[in-house]
Amino acid sequence: MRFYLQKIVFYVVALWAAVTLNFLIPRLMPGNPVDIMIAKMGAAGQPITAGTRHALEVELGGSGGSLIQQYGAYIVNLLHGNLGISLTNFPEKVTTVIGQALPWTIALVGMATIISFILGIGLGMLAGWKRGSWLDNLIPVTTMFQAVPYFWLALILVLVLTRVLSLFPYAGGYNVATTVPGLSFQFIGSALYYGFLPAVTIVISSVGGWMLGMRNMMVATLSEDYIVTAEAKGLKPSRVRMTYAARNAVLPSLSGFAISLGFVVAGSIVTEQVFSYPGIGQLLFTAVSNDDYALMQGVFLVISLSVLAANLVVDVLYGLIDPRTRARS
Amino acid sequence: MTITRKRLLFGAAAVAASAALALTGCTSGSNGNSSKAGGTTSVTLFSGQVGNFTENFNPLNNTGAYLQPTNGVIYEPLFYYNKAKAGKPVPLLGTSYSWNTDGTELTVKVRQGVKWSDGSAETTDDVVYSLNLVSNNPGLNTSGTEWVAKKTAADTVVIDFPTTSFTLEPQILGNEPIVPQKIWKNISDPTKVTNDKPVGTGPYELKSFTPQSFVLEKNPHYWGTGDNAPKVDQVRYVSLANADAATSALEAGQTDYMGAFLPTLKSIMSKHKNLSYSNSPQATTALFTCANVDLGCTGPQTDPAVRQALYNAMDRTQLDKQAAAGFSAPASSSLLLNTVNKSQITDPSYLEVPQTANVSKAKSTLEADGWKLNSDGYYAKDGQELDLTVNVVSGWTDYDTICQLLQGQFKAAGIKLAVNQMAQNAWSQAESTGKFEMSMNSINMGVSSDPYYQYSAYLASSATAKVGTPAPSTNTSRYSNAAVDAAIKQLATTNDDSAKQAAYKTIQDQIVKDMPYVPIYVNSALAEYNNSRATGWPTQDNQYAFPLPWGGNWGVGIVLKTIRPVK
Repeated sequence: MRFYLQKIVFYVVALWAAVTLNFLIPRLMPGNPVDIMIAKMGAAGQPITAGTRHALEVELGGSGGSLIQQYGAYIVNLLHGNLGISLTNFPEKVTTVIGQALPWTIALVGMATIISFILGIGLGMLAGWKRGSWLDNLIPVTTMFQAVPYFWLALILVLVLTRVLSLFPYAGGYNVATTVPGLSFQFIGSALYYGFLPAVTIVISSVGGWMLGMRNMMVATLSEDYIVTAEAKGLKPSRVRMTYAARNAVLPSLSGFAISLGFVVAGSIVTEQVFSYPGIGQLLFTAVSNDDYALMQGVFLVISLSVLAANLVVDVLYGLIDPRTRARS
Repeated sequence: MTITRKRLLFGAAAVAASAALALTGCTSGSNGNSSKAGGTTSVTLFSGQVGNFTENFNPLNNTGAYLQPTNGVIYEPLFYYNKAKAGKPVPLLGTSYSWNTDGTELTVKVRQGVKWSDGSAETTDDVVYSLNLVSNNPGLNTSGTEWVAKKTAADTVVIDFPTTSFTLEPQILGNEPIVPQKIWKNISDPTKVTNDKPVGTGPYELKSFTPQSFVLEKNPHYWGTGDNAPKVDQVRYVSLANADAATSALEAGQTDYMGAFLPTLKSIMSKHKNLSYSNSPQATTALFTCANVDLGCTGPQTDPAVRQALYNAMDRTQLDKQAAAGFSAPASSSLLLNTVNKSQITDPSYLEVPQTANVSKAKSTLEADGWKLNSDGYYAKDGQELDLTVNVVSGWTDYDTICQLLQGQFKAAGIKLAVNQMAQNAWSQAESTGKFEMSMNSINMGVSSDPYYQYSAYLASSATAKVGTPAPSTNTSRYSNAAVDAAIKQLATTNDDSAKQAAYKTIQDQIVKDMPYVPIYVNSALAEYNNSRATGWPTQDNQYAFPLPWGGNWGVGIVLKTIRPVK
């Protein structure tokens, strides 16, 4: 019990720190939204007069009060689930804007991360089990894909598979002309088809790391005494491989997996740019370049919460999988 | 533990199996349902929107957050002011207008028989209501002047101004959407609504909306007939993340109408015969200099001779070729456009800036001002080297290229240039508060092609502030000149062409001498069209409306009702 209490206290403190930083960082950035809006209006040929600045300030209702007062208001609003109003999408609520983008990112990057993990761990396990077999040759190939800058790999795949061969669509989350979002086979099929290529790029650029890590841990674990004991008992090789070797070898990868799950929400800016995918990375980029504090805070909050939540889940799971972490020294 | 794990595995297998089932299901589903509704004509428009669409059709919103079709396609103003060519405004919901002699009373005849897209009648009362709604609401009124509109006859609206207000004409007639009183009178704060179900008088109305794409359909109650009525059944708006995706969409025939700068446009056009484009250069790219010592500017660029030298040291042909892919147009030292504003440029020598560098002229200007070449090959005065810094937004690749090229070009004239690449918000803050030496930016036309808007926003003392305070308008150069201020005031208070022409001359003579903004070229504004589903798009020679499908451009409504489907 004490183990879980400690964890909970730690996460509450971490949450407070994240929320506070989240409040401060956007305010330390240069610029203010009214200036940027005036620049944008000028570029679109809107008339800019002295009245324009005043009207915008009235309309956006400036950030009143001292920093402390703003912080207080921010915490109170946060507790009510109110993330404020997005300036770039004025007067839409931040929660609505994020809500529109989040499912796409979670579905795409989340699925891709899980597939990459399972694939990498599986291949790494086999490669470690049968050292020196052809599977070992996969490792340099996959690490090479990981070493190639991600955006470059993605652009090449886009060029070859969507422009030269026209196998996949080059942009979007689904076919907007023929399907309507909803729980229909047609929509889900279209979304899977449109998400396939971006997902593949994420998988092939990240599978190498999982595979390499798992293979090496597997090799190390196989030289442990309990493996020899298990073999000496005459257990089936498949059982030795899965329950004796792999289960212990996977532990370090699992914590890495937790971290990368947490970053699913954040780590997709490049993917979404290259594939014009309608997700949260694009949103964050827009928010930052327009000094949209409320939207930035909202996105950062979602990112920090998801990282914390993923860590919490794995911390708890770790206690289950590896009893040693629970034991008091 | 073992049992639990087995259960887990079993559960996972079940999930995988059902997912596989779902997959097979959707493949057959999508094969069965791919046919399109027959007989509906449709065009697809990319407005430059990145990421998800946020539903907002509030035409009164000033922040630019409303979706592109709101103003122009769904809602209409009284008249359309075409910035792409000189000429009279096009009557939309108004039919004619006139000013009294001292410019305090504007009389507008309102078109009769117009209906809202819900079928109810649009009346003169709606026009009066819409105009007063903006005037009375400080969050909506960007003009700084309050007016009063009243109905004087069934089809006549008279707008009264406290002072001479000729210059508000395009703002009120061409930039205020007419909204239905019956809906908007129930909205307590018109700045804070998203207006998800827009009811307007425009040629199209909203059919369906999703965050990835939305569709407009012909407004069956539209007032226009014949050539003035929309002919394509549906318009679909899509969003794409970047120019690569836009290029793909254009080449694959998946967008019909977009406005993106594509450096390879000429080769795309030669490969695809059904594509066409138009270029409507509007914004003059210039080196903005913090020019005014009295308001706190520092640095060598505060010396007019230095600014003249910069002006002459540029090789603009090279800049056009390498930064603008040859699509830019020559700028005018009057800062106006030598296309639309040709008659308002008062001296033939102001029409076009020199296209090649004149290094000897640049050097002699500096030497006459007391600058001397030092041993490093740069000019210096009072021990101070001629060393300038230009701010530019990193990622605005054309401007970044210009700055790199200018470094070399200025070096040949003995001027040292440092390029400071910045994030957009830092750059815009530096410029707005005057904490810069030079800044790469563009001078934009105001609400109409009338030079008043440009001159009052970029040159008037009232549009600037001391260094350290944000400029209330776009005069970030801190330029202040009594003669120019008087001439701008003259422009604001007269409707007489010869008086205006005299004022233009005063302003242009002053700024050509002072050069607070060093013009480079007029930036391209490319719009691309696909002629295989619809024809009648604007062409280079026939820009019946300003064609760029950006937010706030009323011309898109004109374009969309002019095009016709290909049979």
